[in-house]
Amino acid sequence: MNAGELDLLLVEDNQDDVDLALHALQRAKVANRIFVVRDGEEALDFLFCRGKYADRSFDRPPKLVLLDLKLPKVNGMEVLKLVKSDLRTKTIPIVIMTSSKEERDLVASYNLGANSYIQKPVDFEQFRETVKSVGLYWLVINQPPVVEDSHTLAGESHDHH
Amino acid sequence: MPHGFCYRWDPRIVWLHVISDSLIALSYYCIPIILVYFIRKNRDLPFNRIFWMFGTFILACGTTHLMEIWNVWHGSYLLAGIIKALTAAVSVLTAAMLIPLVPKAMALRDRTHLQEMNRNLEREIAECKRLDAPIEGPLRHRVTGSFIGAMLLTIFIGFSSWRSVRLAADDADWVAHTYAVLDTIELLSKHVIEAETSARAFALSGQNPLLAHYENARGAIAQDEDALRRLTGDNPNQQRRLNVIEAQIRAALEFAEIIVAQRRRSLRAPSTDEIPRTESLMNAVDATGQEMKAEEIRLLSQRTQSATVGRRLTRFIIILGPLVGVSLLALARLAVNREMDAGARARTQISTLNAELEQRVQQRTAALQSEVAERKQAEERLAGQAEELTRQADELAGSRQALEAQALTLRSVLDSMAEGLVAADERGKFVIWNTAAERILGMGATNLPSRDWTQHYGLFLPDTVTPFPNDRLPMILAIQGEASTSEMFVRNNAITTGAWIEASGSPRKDKDGLLCGGVVAFRDISQRKADERQILKLNDELETRIMERTAQLEAANKELESFSYSVSHDLRAPLRHVGGFSQMLMEEFGPTLEPGARHYLDRIQSGTQKMGLLVDELLNLARVGRHALHRQPTSLTPIVGEVLAILQPECEGRQVEWVIAELPAVECDPVLVKQVFQNLLANALKFTRPRARAVIEVSHREEHGQPVFMVRDNGVGFSMKYVDKLFGVFQRLHQAQDFEGTGIGLATVQRIVQKHGGRVWAEGELDKGAAFYFTLGFGKQAESKTNGATAGGQS
Repeated sequence: MNAGELDLLLVEDNQDDVDLALHALQRAKVANRIFVVRDGEEALDFLFCRGKYADRSFDRPPKLVLLDLKLPKVNGMEVLKLVKSDLRTKTIPIVIMTSSKEERDLVASYNLGANSYIQKPVDFEQFRETVKSVGLYWLVINQPPVVEDSHTLAGESHDHH
Repeated sequence: MPHGFCYRWDPRIVWLHVISDSLIALSYYCIPIILVYFIRKNRDLPFNRIFWMFGTFILACGTTHLMEIWNVWHGSYLLAGIIKALTAAVSVLTAAMLIPLVPKAMALRDRTHLQEMNRNLEREIAECKRLDAPIEGPLRHRVTGSFIGAMLLTIFIGFSSWRSVRLAADDADWVAHTYAVLDTIELLSKHVIEAETSARAFALSGQNPLLAHYENARGAIAQDEDALRRLTGDNPNQQRRLNVIEAQIRAALEFAEIIVAQRRRSLRAPSTDEIPRTESLMNAVDATGQEMKAEEIRLLSQRTQSATVGRRLTRFIIILGPLVGVSLLALARLAVNREMDAGARARTQISTLNAELEQRVQQRTAALQSEVAERKQAEERLAGQAEELTRQADELAGSRQALEAQALTLRSVLDSMAEGLVAADERGKFVIWNTAAERILGMGATNLPSRDWTQHYGLFLPDTVTPFPNDRLPMILAIQGEASTSEMFVRNNAITTGAWIEASGSPRKDKDGLLCGGVVAFRDISQRKADERQILKLNDELETRIMERTAQLEAANKELESFSYSVSHDLRAPLRHVGGFSQMLMEEFGPTLEPGARHYLDRIQSGTQKMGLLVDELLNLARVGRHALHRQPTSLTPIVGEVLAILQPECEGRQVEWVIAELPAVECDPVLVKQVFQNLLANALKFTRPRARAVIEVSHREEHGQPVFMVRDNGVGFSMKYVDKLFGVFQRLHQAQDFEGTGIGLATVQRIVQKHGGRVWAEGELDKGAAFYFTLGFGKQAESKTNGATAGGQS
């Protein structure tokens, strides 16, 4: 997979969830280039172009990151915090997608700069609808900042869903 | 050797010593007797022991002087030495004991002075007593003592006389003896000369009568020698001399015998050269004889002198003894006479005093009698005046009685008061002080100046230790025209445990409206204070318990939180997977599946949906439990409107009449109250499903100043015997196939209402419908809009 043409980074440790999400995204036909990482550390390596992803470039970030909160090694909240506090990565849209309906998780996520917070619905049909809507919005409708200017845009606010 | 030899038996010297020693001894013996008497009479005398030592010391000194007298005639120097040694020991001991006593004795002067005064007083008392007791014991003792002294003296005189006579007789015997010895020596000497002369005459003449004379003389010499030996048996010196003279006589007689024998043999006269030899022999005999005589004469003169002294002493004692005896008796007589005179004087004095007393009693009696008579007259006069006064008094009594009755009423009112009441004039002198005041303060009114009141009554500020400032006392302020109320703490000798009082003072004004003092009323508020303290204590305890309970609850909440978090994450995820994959299976392989398999997949899907609902509602219940209550004035009508909008889909295809009254605005948490209405209205909608026309009513009423909200429907209702189970979690009164549900909705309603401090209850009847009521606790009503208008129904 060509990292340079990436549409979406899925950060999810549970294989079932990965399968369901991929199924939903494919049916929605909104993202063709999807990359999956299984824990927070790998996600950080990927986003910060280091470790086994050292050959990646900050110039070609994913258009969207779907981030689960409950992750091995480094949890989703920590990933969110590091990504959103670094000038090189803070413009990457991050949507929290989690089973948690906890209000404190929700508030904490927005405080750390999450672009959206979605609770995975139990009902599969609804789940599919949600994934479809998210993909459509962030990958198709939303206008991302010009990559070359990403540094100059630091400090500007972003749309929250 | 007796000491008399030292005095050369000179009578003057001997008697000078004897009399002086006697007097010294007598005096010495008298002193300890007086001392002992003195100590026995003064048991409290200080340094008692030193007096005993003094007594012993003086007694010992007296004894040495007695020994001196004894030793004039007897040489018991060893005994005298021992007595002197004892005396010395006692003297040293006494002196040693005396040294440390000197400073004490100096310090004693004051006390001694006091005792001296005491003794003077006693003497005076004794003098007085003596008048009443003319002849007393001491006199008898003194007279008896004098007689005993006289008797002892007489016995001593008798003994001395007897002894003197005996000594005189002994002396005479000794003189006679000496003369006998002298005579015998003279005789011996004469007989020796006679024998020698006869022997020489015979030798010259040869006449036989001379020889016979010689023989006789020799016989006489032997007799004389025997006699002399017997007489001087007690004198070894004379015996020695006797031996010498006997040897000399024997030598002379042997020579004479030789001359006589030569004459008898040769019948011729002896040669003249033998004469000197005879003479030298005779001279030796004579010299020894003279020596013996001289010795005897010396002895004689010695004995004669001693006899003379003895006789003179006897004479002295015989003359002096009776004189002393007579003087003692005379002294005794004198004492008796003096005492008898004193007795007589005392008796005379007593009778004089008695007579005086008698006279005085008579005078007094007479005076009293006249006095009584005078008094009687005076009484009669007084009686007259009294009658007059009584009349005047009666008049006064009428007006006074009225006044007294008034005062009495006032007094009884004051005394029956539970409050202490005191009043003072403008100078701070108390004029009223009722019994309650005395009881509360523990003491009555004081005459002390006002600046001493605080200290006198023990008044303190509420900190119970700082004295109450005098110038802030309610009474002082009242006298100055200022009304005040103070709490103070009282603690004094009468109220040792202390008491709290509340005192109110106000100024007193006379009829012209001028300040004339103050009045203060006060009451014991100790009980109230104690109650307050108790309440504070209980509050503190309650506070502590609340804090403990809060901590417990917070811990429980934390647990619940982590539980719900875990449920939301861990339970929901697999549920989603089951649902998702079964859906995918149905979609992708549905057409190829057997109808039975599709049915099972449907069951799996509905099961996961049901479980998802259950999990969500359980989480909701838990969230309600720990949801912080945010009360705010909330208008309930719009909230009900929002709920109706949410429920709209479920009304599709049904005829439902909503009767919604205008609800008041109340203090509550809108998010939670919305859930209450949502649950109740959803329930109403659900259980009216069998009805062709559902009627659901929302209204409220005032009860105990609090709004009670009601949601009523005409649905299937319930039996009141299960009403208790209605609000329990998972409790359901209907079968699942009739009415879907989790059994958590009403539990959530109850949780929310209780969180508001309110109450929820239900009324129902099977097949007739149900009504749910709830209140929202003490949250104040923001708006009292009690409009009973009903909202239009909709289907």
